Parts: sequence; structure tokens; C-alpha cells
Amino acid sequence: MAVVSTTTTTVAPHAVLDHIHPEPTSFVRRYIFSIDHKVIGIQYMITGLLFFVLAGLLAELIRIQLLHNDARFMSPEVYNGVYTMHGSAMVWMVIIPLVTGGFGNFVMPLQIGARDVAFPWLNLASFWMFPIAGVLLFGAFLVGAPDAGWTEYPPVSLQGPVGTNYWCVAIFLIGISSTLTGINFIVTILKMRAPGMTLTRMPLFVWAQLSTAALSMIATTALAAALLALFLERVFGIPFYDPTKGGSPILWQHMFWFYSHPAVYIMILPAFGIISEVLPTFARKPIFGYKMIAFSSVAIALVGFMVWAHHMFTSGLAPWLQLPFMILTMIVAIPTGIKIFSWMATLWGGSIELTPAMLFAIGFLITFTFGGITGVFLAAIPVDLHAHGTYFVVGHFHYVLYGGSVFGIFAGLYYWWPKITGRMMNERVGLWHFWLTFISFNCTFLPMHWLGLQGMPRRVATYLDSHDAVFWNQVASISSFVLAASTLLLFGNMAWSFYKGKRAGANPWGARTLEWMISSPPPYYNYKRVPAVLATPYDFGNPLPYIGLDSPEGTLPTPQLTAPPAPAPR
Amino acid sequence: MGPGFWLITAILALLSVGAAAFWIIVPLPMGVEQAADTAVPTDILFKVLAVIGSALFIYVFGYIVYFAIVFRRPKNAPANTIGVQIHDAPVLEFWWTVIPAVIVLGLAIASVQLLNKIYYTAGDVLTMEAIGYQFGFQFRYPKLANPVSEMHIPVDTPVTVHVTARDVIHGFWIPEIRVKQDMVPGLINTVRFTPTKIGVYPIICTSYCGIAHGGMHSAVHIDSQQDFAKWFAAQQGGTAAAGGGSAAGAAIALSAGSVSAGQALFGQKCSACHSVGPFTQKIVGPGLGHIFDDPDHPKLVNGTAPSPQDIAMILKNGYQGDLGVMPSSQVNQISNTDIANLVAYLVSLSKK
Repeated sequence: MAVVSTTTTTVAPHAVLDHIHPEPTSFVRRYIFSIDHKVIGIQYMITGLLFFVLAGLLAELIRIQLLHNDARFMSPEVYNGVYTMHGSAMVWMVIIPLVTGGFGNFVMPLQIGARDVAFPWLNLASFWMFPIAGVLLFGAFLVGAPDAGWTEYPPVSLQGPVGTNYWCVAIFLIGISSTLTGINFIVTILKMRAPGMTLTRMPLFVWAQLSTAALSMIATTALAAALLALFLERVFGIPFYDPTKGGSPILWQHMFWFYSHPAVYIMILPAFGIISEVLPTFARKPIFGYKMIAFSSVAIALVGFMVWAHHMFTSGLAPWLQLPFMILTMIVAIPTGIKIFSWMATLWGGSIELTPAMLFAIGFLITFTFGGITGVFLAAIPVDLHAHGTYFVVGHFHYVLYGGSVFGIFAGLYYWWPKITGRMMNERVGLWHFWLTFISFNCTFLPMHWLGLQGMPRRVATYLDSHDAVFWNQVASISSFVLAASTLLLFGNMAWSFYKGKRAGANPWGARTLEWMISSPPPYYNYKRVPAVLATPYDFGNPLPYIGLDSPEGTLPTPQLTAPPAPAPR
Repeated sequence: MGPGFWLITAILALLSVGAAAFWIIVPLPMGVEQAADTAVPTDILFKVLAVIGSALFIYVFGYIVYFAIVFRRPKNAPANTIGVQIHDAPVLEFWWTVIPAVIVLGLAIASVQLLNKIYYTAGDVLTMEAIGYQFGFQFRYPKLANPVSEMHIPVDTPVTVHVTARDVIHGFWIPEIRVKQDMVPGLINTVRFTPTKIGVYPIICTSYCGIAHGGMHSAVHIDSQQDFAKWFAAQQGGTAAAGGGSAAGAAIALSAGSVSAGQALFGQKCSACHSVGPFTQKIVGPGLGHIFDDPDHPKLVNGTAPSPQDIAMILKNGYQGDLGVMPSSQVNQISNTDIANLVAYLVSLSKK
């Protein structure tokens, strides 16, 4: 275990750029149709969190229905609409916009020392497609919500209510938005980094955003084609998927999953990036295995393109065709394992501070690992032939998407909130939020694993009461009510902090990435003069690796340059 | 690494062994009976995964909690106290890449082996058809003219179930048998198993299929050989005489059949499974080029050479033969006019 010192190279900061655009003065140009990446990022966050509340309420309706195995709380039509909208909204209106559009927009340009993204007007367009798509999606409730689940498999989705057309258009629109954001981020990251910030000196959050942007840019086109075909078939009767007219229902599954499996990584890679920032900051340690974490993000993105048919093991693919998909899916476990182990090793020997952000990062490690392990169960075809389409799958993907992506979003919110607003959240309330969320999350989704294995299929308004299914559903439902209530603590904390929170200063956590080197909230132009970067940002034992920072401000805690007394080995 | 680390490592090892013992000793981790041979390999693989997975989870969980507690910054330490400045440890990273890779490879090989057992179990003494529709299941048996709404199978008899659907995609899942295939309209998927335990088990639809999806289940009755024979005889008695398709419905008018329309339809509906070559040129079903006059053609219907009307009845009602199952017109979604066109086309091929 070598202690590596900062490599110094001769890079000079840019001269003070004389061309700083003045901040727009009109309210509309400043807060509504702004081209500032920070404002757009905040707009994404507010909109995404709003949809998070709506989608969460839908989830609670589902859980109320499932309190009893033959419930009449909602009619099956309403219930089917509710779970379809919950899934669609969580994927496309909450997680993807929050982790890419929200955190990506606000944090990534700051972290690479840029003044904005490469194409600010495109960014503005990307954002405004999002609320329009969201309104269209939820508008489907007024005309009959889509009912075939977020996967909308034809032929049943061809029979679905009119709202399914709204769904197609909404998802198509958010897909365009996501593709454009992907292109924007790739160009920004590749072309606009501060001098001296080589690819291997980028913060890991930027690496995660780069991998994600590539996925968004390439995969979303397949979804767009599939959606367009579904829309044409539903509205004009052009038979792409209807087998009675020569179409193929399996075609949709291939096209849909060619996007939607990479979409899983679009949702999780940025959360990996958030974790990779939070852990070293609150452990006061360099991230363990920087290059392997960055490399594994890219590896996951690459292999993630070649595993889509593992969602189709029961669809009738030839057995010989199923095998490579099974093996490649299992291979994803290797780079994911590298990440988990590297994060664990980052904790070892740290000087750990258990802030809410850190607790959510640690909670993420635990719940995501669990979800990753059940993912390998599902990758094994013989087990999948039993578990496919059951609540085992529901339990699995909530562990990776809620215990993974959403925990990552929570960690990111606590971590960057002071940077975004300039104020601190209440730490005690944050701790309550974490513990209530962590415990109720596990009590909600853990029972779903055995419910599924014992015979409860997905997407049902009523179910058979065998193997104590009603009891375990009630455990899940009651825990989910606690989970929803605990989330209110976060929103309350945010509202309180916005008006009453303690002033944060530039760098309240003592972090070392570039965004913490400027005031909170950052000025309109981010960097009056773009600094030069000498090393990776995680070497807590070394001086800050930046030359030509705008203003030291005196608020940066100077790291102890001499190593502290070596901790007793434990 | 100090004594505390090794102590916690040992404790986690004990916990992992305990978890492994739990998965191995508890007879059925899924709490669901094993009613067929396919359940055995699936459960073994599940147990292997559970043993490895729980050990991995226990170690990750245990170390994370342990590190988070023992490496906490003391309350009185300044906020900028740094941790041990380690960037990487190549040897450690090598092993935590290689060991999971080996485990994953092992699991993949085991899965392939078990998959062979599940997909290619021996023989198919009883071959039948299960058809999903909104919202129920129908079953067709060889030598039963009409579909029945109950699934009965004899114990200890290799069974092949061809599953398909009439309208939208349904799922065919029997938890006690650990098999599942989607029932896809226009496509025939296959489930093979040998039932081993007499009883009644649920058949559950696992693919969202419409408003009443949650209520779409049926039951499979695994009977003793005698009970099955009795049930089957009762079914035969209740319907017209089995065997020839012609007993199952009124004759179809074939005179108006169009060869060209039949040829076009053959390309859409039939050519995935049937060539127009000789009978022995099999894709899924036999080649149909000389179905009326091929010397290799076995006695297809009632021991006599088929008439055009016999072929029409097979297209109408489906057929269960040595080579497999020909789905009915309901499943294939072809009308009587389509049948007339197809027969005209097949007759024209035989004349060449």
C-alpha cells in the first residue's frame, strides 16, 4: 500500500477571461428560461422531486390496495393505471432527470472547472421537454391511464386506454431530452475541462456522468423507434407488433430492453458517482482504486449494452441464445463488485464523519449490494424461470433503484444542498430521516422476495393468499407508509433550511473537488478565472491541487499537511 | 490490520457458515413444494446462489458497519483530521477481481448444466397444448377433440406442454414445478418436466394481460396413472370420437380456395415451422410439399392417405402427432377462408 504524492506538472491557469456575460436581470430570463446550467439543474431537481412526491403517492395507493388479497380499494382499471404510472414516472420523470439533468447539470460543469455546459441553449430545450412530458404523462389519468406496466408489452398495450398514446408521446419526448443531454454532457466533459484536468484527474462523479451520457445518447434511440412504432400501430393500425397482422410482439421486447436495460445503468451510474464523492470527503481519504472505479463505470456501460435479453428468458428465445446473455449479465457483477470493494476499502482507516450524506452513502452500499446479489440470482436462467415476473423481481429492482439510485439521490441532496442554496440542513432531522428510511425501506421490500418465490406475480390487483401472502403484504404496506412519512422529513428539512438554515460558506464539508473552491451558491459565471489542476482531487494528505483559484475566501479548512499520528491498526 | 479486524473477520465467517447451514438444512428455501423433477436442479442452484450470496452480503455488511464504527472521527478531533492516505493495493484488487470472476464463471457453468436438465428432459410421453386467453387457460390433449379447461397430468410421466396464447401475452407458471414460459400469440414455447408428486397446484399468469390479470389462475392436477386414465376416458366419452379431425366439426367448403392467396398466407403463417420440401425435411413440423402423395408420408389421419378435407380439419382443430403439436386455427388465427386457400396451395404443390 503505497502512499503516492501529488504529481506536479507545469500547467498554468487560464488568464482571467475578460468576457464574462452579465447575469440576466429579468425574472423570466434568470429563473424560468435560464441558460445557466446551475439554474437548469435546480429546475430539474424541483420538477423531479415534485414528480417523486406524485409517484410516491401512487406507490402508497398500490400498497393500500395490497393490504388485502381481494381488496376493493381501487377497481382493477384504476389499480393498473396507478402501478403503470408509478413505474413510468419513477424511471423517466424522477430518477433519470434527477441524476443526470439535476445533479449532472448543477455539479458536473463546476467539477470540471467550466463556466457552463457546451450547448446552453440545447440544455434549456432539454429541460423544458421534461415538465411538458411529465404533464402529458400524468395527463393520461384524465383520459384513461395506460395500464400495461412501464414495459407496455404489446399486444396488450395495443388494447390499452387512450392514455397509452399520451404515454408514448411523453416517453418519446423525455427520450429526446435525455439524448440531447447526453450529447451535451459528452462534449462538455471531453472539451471543456480546466487545464491540467486530464481524464484520470476528473472527479469520479464526472466519470460516471460521462459513461451515463454515452448510454443515454446511444440507447435512447432504440426506445424512440420502438415508441414511434407502438404509437403508429395504436393510432393508425400499422402492424409492427400485432401477430395477427404479421407483426411480432417479441420485436417490442428486444427494442424496449435494448434501451431499458442500459437505462438501469443510466439510473445507477450517476448514483455511483455521488457515492464516490461523498465517501472520500467524509472519510478524509483518497478514494480507493480511483482508476478501477472509473474503468468499471465504463465497463458496466459497455457490457450493459449486451445483456438486454436477460429480461426475456421466458419469452421463447432459443436456449443457445439465452446463454451468452446469462453469462454477460453475470459478468456485470465483476466490475460492480470492484466498485463495492473499493468503496469498502475507502472506509477502512478513514477519519469518518457520519453525516446524513455519509449515512445514505453507507446505506447505499448495503442495500445496493443486496440488490446486486439478487440480480445474479435472476441472471441464472433456471432460477429466473421460476422468479421471472414475480414479486422477487419487484423486490430486486427496488433494492437497486430505491436502495441504490434514490439513496444516492438522498446522499447527493444532503451533500450538495449547501453548495446549491448556501445553507445547511438540520443534521439531527437528517439522521432521523436516514434511520427511518433505511429501516422502513428494508421492511417494505425484503418480504417481496419470498412473496414472489412463493407464488405472487407482479402487476396484480388481487392475489392468492397462500404462504401467509396477506401477512407479508401487510408488513410491506405498513412499512411503506413509514417510508413515505420519513421522506417528509427530508422535504421539511429542505424547506426549513432554505429560510432558516445556518450559512454554509464555500466548503462546509472540507471537500476537495473544484465546486467547493467557490462561494455557495456559486456566482453566475462560476469561475472568474479557470484554475489549473495538478492532480486527482482526493489526496487529503496533500495541499489542494489547484493553481489560480478565484478567491481563497479563508473558509477552506486547510488540510493537515503532515500526516496525523498513524491510527492504531484496528 | 489489527486484532479487531481479524476478530470481526472470524465472526463474519461464523455468520456465513450459519447462513449456509440455514440454506442447506431448511428443506425448501422457497417454501414451495417440489412437484416435478425440474424443481430439484432449480432449488439446488438457488441454494448454491443463496450460500454464496449470503456470505458475500454478510462480509460486505459486516465490514462496512465495522469500519464505520471503529474509524469514526473522535468527537474531540479537529474536522480536518485525515485518514490513512492509501490510494490502492494492487494485490488486494487483483484478488477481488479474480475471485468473483471465478465464482461467476462457476455459477454460469452450473446454470448451463442445470438448464440442459430443464430444457431437455427426457422424452415426451404426454404432449399437450396450453393456450392462454383473456382471462383463463385452455388445454388440448391428443385424441381429445375439444379443449378442456382443466389440466390433468399423470404422475411420473414425462410431459411436454406447448404454450401459446390466443390474444395477448400471458404467462404459464406453476411454482411447484419451477417452470415458466410466456404464452405468446403466434409463437409456441415449450415446457418439459416429469411430475413427481400427486396433488393440485396453481397455474398462475405472470405477464400482465389486461384488467383481470390478477385473477388469472388455474390449477394443474397431478393424478395417479389410474386417476388420469379415468379422467381422460371421461373426457373422451363426453366428446365426439377421438382420432380423426373430421369428427370435430362441420366440413369446410374448399372449392373456393385460391392458390396464390394460400401461397402468400403460407409465407406469413406456416413457413416458420414448415418447408415446402419433402415430408422428412423438418423445420419444426414436417415439410408439406407433397403432403398428399409423398411416399415417406406416414399414415397421417385414421390410417389412410389424407384427403384435402382431412388437412383442412388439421388446420382447423390442430393436431398432435409423433413430430409434435400443430396448433389449431384458433391459435394460428386463421379463418375458414384462409384454410381453404392454404389447402388449395398445398394441393397445387403436390401436383407438381
